[in-house]
Amino acid sequence: MTEQLPIVIILGPLLAAVLAAFAGWFRPKLSHPFVLLGLAVSFAAALKLVFIVADGGAQKYWLGGWGDKVIPSQKEPFVVGIQITVDHLNTLLLAAVSGIALLTAIYAKRLVDTELAGRQRYFDALFALLVAGLLGISITGDIFNLYVFMEIAALSSYALIAYGKGRSYMASFNYLIMGTMGACLYLLGIGFIFIKGGTLNIDDLSRIIPTLQANGPSQALFVGFVLIILGAWAKMAFFPFHGWLPNAYTYAPTASASVLAPLATKVAVYAMLRIMLTVYSIDYINGLTGIQPIALYLSTAAIVMGSFFSLTQTNLKMIACYFIISEVGYMVGGAWLANKPGLTGAMYHLVADAAMTSALFMAIGCIVYRLGQAQLDDLKGVFFKMPVTMAAFVVTMAALIGVPPTCGFFSKWYLIQGAAQAGVWHFVAALLLSSLVKAIILFRIIEIGYNRVPHPAIEGNPAIPRNEAPLSMLIPTAAMALGLVALGLGTSTLVNTIIAKALPAALAP
Amino acid sequence: MVDSTAGSDTMENLIANFNYVIVVILMMIGLWAMLAQKNLIKKCIGMAIFQTGIILFFISIGAKNEAKVPILSKFVVENSSAIIVNDYANPLTQILMLTAIVVGVATLGVGLALAQKVYQQHSTFHEDEILENQRK
Repeated sequence: MTEQLPIVIILGPLLAAVLAAFAGWFRPKLSHPFVLLGLAVSFAAALKLVFIVADGGAQKYWLGGWGDKVIPSQKEPFVVGIQITVDHLNTLLLAAVSGIALLTAIYAKRLVDTELAGRQRYFDALFALLVAGLLGISITGDIFNLYVFMEIAALSSYALIAYGKGRSYMASFNYLIMGTMGACLYLLGIGFIFIKGGTLNIDDLSRIIPTLQANGPSQALFVGFVLIILGAWAKMAFFPFHGWLPNAYTYAPTASASVLAPLATKVAVYAMLRIMLTVYSIDYINGLTGIQPIALYLSTAAIVMGSFFSLTQTNLKMIACYFIISEVGYMVGGAWLANKPGLTGAMYHLVADAAMTSALFMAIGCIVYRLGQAQLDDLKGVFFKMPVTMAAFVVTMAALIGVPPTCGFFSKWYLIQGAAQAGVWHFVAALLLSSLVKAIILFRIIEIGYNRVPHPAIEGNPAIPRNEAPLSMLIPTAAMALGLVALGLGTSTLVNTIIAKALPAALAP
Repeated sequence: MVDSTAGSDTMENLIANFNYVIVVILMMIGLWAMLAQKNLIKKCIGMAIFQTGIILFFISIGAKNEAKVPILSKFVVENSSAIIVNDYANPLTQILMLTAIVVGVATLGVGLALAQKVYQQHSTFHEDEILENQRK
């Protein structure tokens, strides 16, 4: 049975999306249970696969059994089907995406009921479709299939963002233009690779591309690589393509933002890593002496710029959005350092940052649920009225700053090691600066939040001392915050059993 | 696929590969409209032109002079010596583009729907006027 597990990961949310849309038509209350069920199945399969991959290596699955076909006249087997692959590089991400999506689905129920009353079933269907797209990007072994899943995820996220009020339409439109441009550049890049390689299968390409370049570098492959990387950068809101992200995630409904913010950018980073490491190779990256420094300078710029703008904002959601932009800089920088600690840091940070951003947006969502907004000045007295939420918030901020033993400390540790080993000191400086800025923001919030006179919106009934968000929101938030510490404590296990094996063989000691 | 090595002369090369020249022109028009135009509908049009350029590009790389339709009968498959891959057009690029067209139509639909919603709010498609309205 376990050989069918990889496809179950996508099928869970995909079927849930269809069923939720139809069931919601007849009985609106039915749509949410379907989504929960689909995501739970998907998470269980992903979790099981983590153990299978850790023990037995990569799992390959041919859709419909269309595997390597051998035609008598052709000696070499050739690929006709679409492959999906679960290996050391993506298994942790799959578990993280499906797990965070499941927790967010539980968490977002109350928010959706209040923010999007009467439209819950559309939200549920789109939510499941988005997760199916994101999981598809993470699992596929075919570069064109990756484009299709990328667009499935993107189209559902445009709709999810546009559910907000007021400025969300324009924000979503800008995202659509930028996202489509990224996807088109990616598609164009696939064309160049296809001209030279003649296949779209990632395993085949990783075998073929080195042979094509045996007699010197190929221009077409280089152009294809650059186009794909540019496309992925536009999708992940990497500096200087970040313009769409803050507005899109701030004006989106809180429920949409809490699933999009942690997952969408991380999955795009994974797509970039997959292209860099598997389709092309680490030697190819290290051979690009012209581009590598540019990518590293851009990462530094992304971190510095994200940190700077997060300081100037007064809206908590906006601050969190600029955090995302600087975190993307961490991962792209780590990937382009292209040495062992740098890549370890980038791969570990994929999972860690998904968890941290999720916890951050969950905590902000709880605050928004009670306050109706998240201006910094409105947070007066929030520590007295919502102690559990704020405890989770402080733990999350500590993780983002990089306080041990949370997961943020370890990813930053690897990244700094990698940058030092490669001698890229501006990246080290940017990482430290970003921690400093996050600490400043945390202390600003603590200063406002411990104000004795609470904000009218949060006061509620003066007789009741606490005014927390409902338990269905509070428990996922607290669980996620505890998860950050657990993830940090489990770092060495994760790195030794899984991430170390995902690194390219050329880097092995 | 057109053989690009035949003509050493640049002009001859350009004419032989005129479809790629058109692809580049289409994509540049589309990209410029998406990024530089202020009107939301024109941005959508630019998006459609950009996607059309890419579709033409993929169709061009799959085309071959005097190639057969790539449908193999059982007889041909079993008689090993009969298949010469170069005799058949590459079907994969056309299939890929069918998918890309569907994606493009869906994106354009969502884009136009969003533009319409923006118009309902601001009574204009012009980006600068919308930004000004939002600042109020």
